[in-house]
Amino acid sequence: MVPLSFYLALSAVLFTIGVVGVIIKRNAIQMFMCIELMLNAVNLTFVAFSSYFNDVTGQLFVFIVMTVAAAEAAVGLGIIIAIFRNRESLDVDEASVLRL
Amino acid sequence: MWSILLFVLFGALALGCAVAVVAQRNPLYSAISLIGVFVALAALYLTLAAPFIAAVQVIVYAGAIMVLVVFVIMLLNVEEEVRRPVRLHRMIVAGVLLGAALVAETFFMLTASGTGRVMGPPATDVGSTASVGTGLFTEYLLPFEVTSVLILMALVGAITLARQTRGLPATGGAPAGAAPAAGGADIIQPGFTAETGRAFARYQVEAGEAAAPAGEEEGH
Repeated sequence: MVPLSFYLALSAVLFTIGVVGVIIKRNAIQMFMCIELMLNAVNLTFVAFSSYFNDVTGQLFVFIVMTVAAAEAAVGLGIIIAIFRNRESLDVDEASVLRL
Repeated sequence: MWSILLFVLFGALALGCAVAVVAQRNPLYSAISLIGVFVALAALYLTLAAPFIAAVQVIVYAGAIMVLVVFVIMLLNVEEEVRRPVRLHRMIVAGVLLGAALVAETFFMLTASGTGRVMGPPATDVGSTASVGTGLFTEYLLPFEVTSVLILMALVGAITLARQTRGLPATGGAPAGAAPAAGGADIIQPGFTAETGRAFARYQVEAGEAAAPAGEEEGH
């Protein structure tokens, strides 16, 4: 049986990679994917604790987080399409003001 | 022994694919690497005795969300990121040092606390579909219902955001067709007023671009 700390360390590293991606990426879609990566790192923590404490609550929260991620994908990609339609570019450095 | 091996295998796969997500310049390659992360995490969920969550991970994340993302990438024809000169050289060194300190602190905390010890094998029925469904529809029924409202709101929001407003009558704000062009010149709409519309129709007839209207325009 793998110790719990291994899963927590893996989750922490995955989350940090996602944070770094959101900071250094300029493409809106790639920033979006890094946010998905962070959500998955948290999901791994939930499932690891759920399995090690023999409690199903963590997995229920993973289920709800996945639903939120699906809703976020729908709205986020709608926003990305709207930005691209207005600016012909997905570079977030160029979209620095809240007007056209 | 086997569980350690599986953890190292799929953990390394998840880490490598996650680094590739950030390192790739082409968004499509990033998306495919992200699918690799999702599949590796699903395998890790299986080693944690959570088969339902593993199946949902593959179906919802790798199946639905990533198809949506790849579809948008294809739709928008996204170009690769251009390389830009690096600023803040000293800040990069400081950032790497601080990041290494943070990782060292995290590992020290995880090994010094009690989470390092092995807690016994998980019960076999905790991650099953039956136990997840029982918990979801009894104790956590309210969050489940609130989630359905959230999905409805996301549905309406996505339709509102992605709707093509060009063809609709302008009720508030300027329509996209009447906005100034990128070069600074105004776009002249042929049918903007009745006068310009008739002039444009006469021009089209003179230039041979359209058949003459059947006496309807001259009547006014």
